[in-house]
Amino acid sequence: MSSLVCGFGAGVLQIVPLLRSFSCCFILPFASFISLLLNQRATKSTSRITTKNALLFGLVTGLYAALFGSFLEIFITFITKQNDIISTFPELQRMINNFPVGPEIKNEVLTLFQRVREDILSTGFSVLYTFSVLVNNFMVNSIFGAVGGLIGAQIINSRINTTKNEF
Amino acid sequence: MRFPFRLMIFILLTVWCAGIFLEWFINFDSHLLFGLPFLQKTYSLVCHQERAKLLLFDHGGTLTCARCTGTYLGLLFSSLFFVFQNSWKKPHIKFLFLAATPMILDVILYSLNIYHYSKPIAFITGFLLGSVGFLYLYEGLNNLILELKN
Repeated sequence: MSSLVCGFGAGVLQIVPLLRSFSCCFILPFASFISLLLNQRATKSTSRITTKNALLFGLVTGLYAALFGSFLEIFITFITKQNDIISTFPELQRMINNFPVGPEIKNEVLTLFQRVREDILSTGFSVLYTFSVLVNNFMVNSIFGAVGGLIGAQIINSRINTTKNEF
Repeated sequence: MRFPFRLMIFILLTVWCAGIFLEWFINFDSHLLFGLPFLQKTYSLVCHQERAKLLLFDHGGTLTCARCTGTYLGLLFSSLFFVFQNSWKKPHIKFLFLAATPMILDVILYSLNIYHYSKPIAFITGFLLGSVGFLYLYEGLNNLILELKN
């Protein structure tokens, strides 16, 4: 349950334009850490968290964040017919034209992304875009969630050790 | 942790770090250009990718800012060390916070306009956190393997 709550929170924050850049270095590891803390509180446990549990909590939090984050991103794109691909397309075009590669490859890449752009502008949905959102979110979020769980458990366990030593 | 696991961690981090320098690799294989927009999206999840804060080279730049590049290269550097060195005394968690302090101070100081954003400082503070942070990640993975064995 704590993973679901924290994963949902992280998933929502992940689609906020400025905050999304911090999703992996801060939001996801923090969500995993909070998820572990909430679980400790809910179960009234004062024992050390095993690494296996920490990894599992982090992973599940990351997967929930990916699920909610992807759904919201795809849904908002569908409703507004706008997203970062559309807004950054002129910049991408300029950047690709500046690369020292052959014109055929440049044209192929630009045609591919032009098609994605047109799909999104006309229907609000692109298979390639949806696929890239799902793959990116599920891969990156699960890894960073698990890392957050591993490091979070060490922080919580060190606090448990300190408390026990004080008594 | 056994050598194959340590090597696998190093290889995975090498692939992740190589992705950051994709624009540079395009000079050697132009087909990599197809992957650029996808990887830009991938790395946008881990970094703000503000143009002024990227490490720039001929015909492009890194896909993450100087600080994030430093952090990931720090992780890679430590993982390389651990490929050859297995035994390591577990560091106290306070060292992680200590390693994060220069980065936090840098962010606070340049945000308050006490000095201008500096890519070398951002890179070094990120590298410090990344290289120290790997110790805790390694420790966590080590514990996990031990728990799974028991």
